[in-house]
Parts: sequence; structure tokens; C-alpha cells
Amino acid sequence: MNLVDGKRQFELSSLASTFKNTQTDGQVVVGVADVAMTNDSAADVITYALGSCIGVTIYDPQAKIGGMLHFMLPSAKVSPDKAVSSPLMFGDLGIPILFKSCYEKGAKKENLIVCAAGGAEILDGDGNFKIGSRNRTMLRKLFWKNNILLSADDTGGTISRTLTLRMSDGQVSVRTKGKEKVLWSQ
Amino acid sequence: MVSMNDILKDVQSLPALPGTALRIIMMLSGSDVDLDEVKEIVRLDEAITIVVLRNANSVAYGIPGKTFSLEESIVRLGTKRLLKIALEQQVSRVMSGAGVSYGLRRGSLWRGSLGGALAAEELAEEIKYGDVELCFVCALLRDIGKLAFDAYFGPDRILECAWNMKPGMSFLETERELLGVDHAELGGALAEHWDLPERIANAIRFHHDPPPDDQGHDELYDVVHAGDVMALWMGLAIGHDGMQYHLADHVKHGILGSREHAEQIMMNTWSRLNELEADMNETTFQGQGRSA
Repeated sequence: MNLVDGKRQFELSSLASTFKNTQTDGQVVVGVADVAMTNDSAADVITYALGSCIGVTIYDPQAKIGGMLHFMLPSAKVSPDKAVSSPLMFGDLGIPILFKSCYEKGAKKENLIVCAAGGAEILDGDGNFKIGSRNRTMLRKLFWKNNILLSADDTGGTISRTLTLRMSDGQVSVRTKGKEKVLWSQ
Repeated sequence: MVSMNDILKDVQSLPALPGTALRIIMMLSGSDVDLDEVKEIVRLDEAITIVVLRNANSVAYGIPGKTFSLEESIVRLGTKRLLKIALEQQVSRVMSGAGVSYGLRRGSLWRGSLGGALAAEELAEEIKYGDVELCFVCALLRDIGKLAFDAYFGPDRILECAWNMKPGMSFLETERELLGVDHAELGGALAEHWDLPERIANAIRFHHDPPPDDQGHDELYDVVHAGDVMALWMGLAIGHDGMQYHLADHVKHGILGSREHAEQIMMNTWSRLNELEADMNETTFQGQGRSA
């Protein structure tokens, strides 16, 4: 993947100020419209309460590098201004940033374990807003275009999900309604 | 099963807003504004004073090389902005630790309340709704019923609702079925208990299900409902209840207009929320929603 979107090309260094994730007690917390990359094998990368937003995790078990993105909307086409100021808000810009960030730390595309969670919907009769569904479509379209396979996903429905990537072994888990389930493990 | 009256009778366990917050709400929702009283509220509250000074001295209001005193800041910001700053600070103190029964992390319910209020305010300005401040106030208070749920029900009861959700059935219906009362109705009753005006209580009561044209329609309720839905789409304050709420057809096809329109408001709201976060006490905003 590259970071080219139309005429724009984002430099990671210029985006540093938009990364909002916080680190406490071995947890890297990824906020909404936020991304994190790490090679700290003691860390858990976590994002809370995914609704219609989608969380994407990638992990290279060889290089022991992992990352997570939490995006809110599928496409930045609706707002060229926000595409520049908040690219991580959008799947079509945030996903390439996540991958490129991990490649720059040494991850290899052929090794990546890729998982996703979220994309839930509000109860919406004829469903012409469908933000969760459109987020899921953007994710699959980008992955299909770039020959990336999802190793596991837990998306759709109306539920809230908390997504965790355990850096010690790459395990990905989802917590919903107080119960945790493993989405991917070695 | 409990009734609304059972909960309201247990006044000691109910959350309360400071008296000055209630006075500010009345001033923002149409009562006469006493500027001296507003100044006094600002002066007597250190946290409010700091935010007022920061706001007035920020780039947006700035004159190069100029630093405004508190008195100058009060004049410069204007009454409505002052009232909103004071209300945000006071409501945040009550809401920031709330939402535990819904599995929310500290600060999450407050963040969702403010995000929904900003979205409602922006929508109200766009559709030229007459009383933008009233929309902001109602949307800010829309989830006060969850405070009372925290006090009266533990997290196990809300989890029980979450595990018993049926397809197509809203979380409100599930709460009513299993607990005997829902958080919107209880929020409306709590607002009445605080002696807030009936329209504010009803806007809280109907924030998930605003009545359509032939059933007591009020555009205020539609705006508050739209703000609540956009907050969910922004990923704010999503707990065990998830996204199991209806989007009202008449709001979707009416004031929300189109998906692009809603997304534009959400993006602008997100930016404003982040700016406000920078202004307010950081500890209020440490958390985001926890569904776990």
C-alpha cells in the first residue's frame, strides 16, 4: 500500500501530532481517529467501545511489530479539509497510514496477521445511512485491491466491541457485554 | 421490577446538579439573564475562571500581544458563551464519573453528552432553529437518566439487559421489559424533579424516540435525537447498550437530510470536541467508552 490519495501524499512525520494514543501500565490505548504502532512485546494495544467505527489490527510475528487503527468514517472524499487535518478519521486514508507505519518499523506484508472488529449499525429502518456497513465495505475494498486477507473479523450487528492486540504473541481478542473471546491466536 | 415512583422516592440516592447549574440552565433556556450573577458564578469557581481566561486569550479571540484580565475576558466572551462554559464545567463534574452501570470508562458519558450537544447545536444553527442554546442544554442533559441507573441499578442489571436484547428491539424497550423503567423516561422524571422546564424534561424523555407529526411533534426533540445518534456514530459513550437504538424516520428524512450532511456535522463536531477537550480539565477526558 502507499499513502497516495488522489493528489495527496501524507508524510508520517507530519502526522505525528495527530497520533493521540496514550500508554499506561503496558497498555497502548488507541482513541477514535487514532493509530498506534509498537514493537514492545510487553504491551497490549487496545481500543474501547467500537460501535459503527472499525478497529483494524496488524501484526508481524517475525518482526514482532504490531499496530492498530480506529477509524470513524469510510471515506475522506466528503471533506478535503478534514482529509488533511484528520486523515485517521477515515478508513481510506487511515488504513494505508497504519500499514505504512508498520512497514517503516520493519514489518513485512507477507507476514501480516490482519484482523478487524466493529462496523455495527444503529436500528435504522430503510438503512440509507449505514455508516457501519459502509465502513466494512471500505475495509474489504481496500484489502481486496491490495491483496490483503483478513485473518479474522468480528463485525456488524448492533453491539459495542473492545478490541485488544496482545503484542507478546499477536493474540487478538474482542470483549463484548462483559465477555471476552479470542479472535485470532497462533 | 421497579416503578419510576420507587426510584424517585429514593431521593437520597439520586444524583443532583449544583444549584448554580440549574440557574444557568434556566438562563440559557429563556429566563432573564442576570449578568452580575453570571460574573459571580465565574469568579467563585476556579475551574470556570481558568477556562474563561483560556478561551478569551486563545488565538480565536486574540489580539497580538494582548492578555485579557478576568473582567475583560468576561466582557469579550459574551454572556451566552460564559453560561455555556460554566454549564459544561458543572455538568462535567456530575457526569464524568457516571455511566458505570453501562460499562463506560470514567469520562466517557460526559464526553458523549458534550459531543451530542455540540452536534445538536451545529444542526440547530444549520436549520436555523430559533433557540440553539436550548438544543445544546437539552442534548447535554439527555443521558441524566443513566446517572440515576448508576445509583439505583448495578452493572449486572444493565448487562442482563444487554444479554437479553432481541433483534429489532431497542435497548429502551429491553430496559422497560426487564427493569420496569427506561433511562430516557427516568431522565425526564429526574429533570422534573430538579424543577427544569417541561420542554427540557420532554426533550430528555424523547431523545431516543421523538414523536412524529401527529403525536406531539416538537423540532427541539428531533434536534436532540439527531445529536444523540451522531454521537453514537462518532463512537462516543457506547456501552453495554451498544447501538441498539432507533433512528427516527421523520428525523432521518427531515433535518438530518442526507448521509453526507450528517457526516459533515460529525466531522465538525469532532474538531470542536477536541478543541474543548484541550480547554477543559484533562482528567475529565481521560477515558473513552468501554463496552467490556
